[in-house]
Amino acid sequence: MYKNKKTGMIGIIITIVVLILVVILSNIDLQEIPYMENIFSSIVMPIQNGLTHLKNKIAGNDSFFTDIETLKQENEELKKKNSELEQSLRELEIIKAENDTLKDYVNLTDKYLEYKTVPTYIINRDINNYTKTIIINVGEKDGIKPDMAVIADKGLVGYVISTTQNTAKVQTIIDTATSVSSVISTSREAIIVSGTLESSSILKASYIPTEATILENDNVETSGMGGIYPKGIHIGTIKQIVNTKNNIDRYAYIETAVDFEKLETVLVITKEK
Amino acid sequence: MKKIFCTIGIIITFFILYFLQANFFTWFTISGVMPNLFVIFILFIGLFIGKKVGVVLGLFIGVYIDLLIGKAIGITGLMLAIIGLAAEYIDKNFSKDSRLTLMFIVAGGTAIYEIGIYAFQILKWNAMLEIVPFLKILVVEVIYNMVLVIILYPFIQKVGSHLESLFKNKAVLTRYF
Repeated sequence: MYKNKKTGMIGIIITIVVLILVVILSNIDLQEIPYMENIFSSIVMPIQNGLTHLKNKIAGNDSFFTDIETLKQENEELKKKNSELEQSLRELEIIKAENDTLKDYVNLTDKYLEYKTVPTYIINRDINNYTKTIIINVGEKDGIKPDMAVIADKGLVGYVISTTQNTAKVQTIIDTATSVSSVISTSREAIIVSGTLESSSILKASYIPTEATILENDNVETSGMGGIYPKGIHIGTIKQIVNTKNNIDRYAYIETAVDFEKLETVLVITKEK
Repeated sequence: MKKIFCTIGIIITFFILYFLQANFFTWFTISGVMPNLFVIFILFIGLFIGKKVGVVLGLFIGVYIDLLIGKAIGITGLMLAIIGLAAEYIDKNFSKDSRLTLMFIVAGGTAIYEIGIYAFQILKWNAMLEIVPFLKILVVEVIYNMVLVIILYPFIQKVGSHLESLFKNKAVLTRYF
């Protein structure tokens, strides 16, 4: 404004272009564009293959050392396999012991038949980066009241915190202020699941009992305690277990069953049938 | 008369910003982080019109946002009112005619606002304190807001000086003497 007007405009246009590029690049998912990966890998990979072949030939001269390396590698792999087998054995034992309980947990869709639900869709998402509330287009008129649980086809979404005549505010389980009393489906161990800031698809499971056996890929569901969420609603699967020194404060990361980024339609549980 | 029109204009601008923030910027994000247009807006009002309007508007807009999407009424209002109040004092000590200064004012304002909101989140709902993820989001948000200021700077200057002469009853040029 006080300098050259033209230069200022060019600066602004460049900034807009850079901003658009940053937004596109930061949100791009490589899995969605496999052809791009194909193109780039077809340029580099033939040369890389040739170079690796050449490198292997040169390395072949000291076969003694390479043999030791191979043995070490083999040993590592066997150890890894052994621990994997041990883990699956443990898993099988739990499955065997809990077979009766598991029989109760049939398909989730069948489970939802037990509840009376009101279908609705999301009309507004949170405008803040640190809270994760959503607005749905049903309200008091449709019989929605605070503290009602909200679910989607794949699992738990959250609960209603307030209502107006035509809309309701829902606090999702990925909000850092939400804590859900849950259980691990197989071992029936009680845990507390809460939202994290790190990702909108990751939850943190804490207060895991010290003697509890938890495994990756175990399913987590609501325990029914607390009076808001009905029992047995799927929350997600354990993705990573973080062990700490004293086992008391160990925690786990849970991947939500519901994809909150793409969530559009939800069901509000008004009551059990 | 002109003042009334300007006030109506400001209210309409708030609604436009709300829809932009709720629809466009929830999609147009930098690695999932959206900017905060309300902080820029309240800083702009506080800097060019004055702290009284800044505080009142900040409080009003904040409470309105809380009613629409917030979990508790008041914290957004309180933080935006603080931003509006701080803007007047910033105006006395810094020149808002420099693009760089304005960028840093917005960066500071955004940081104060978000730290306040997050602290309240922890105190009120016993949310987990996650410093690293919080800082990551904060840095991206601050940079995003600064970039928006670069883009909006000519507009901010033009409309701002017009509002300033109207509400503060002084010619813009007096600042240079």
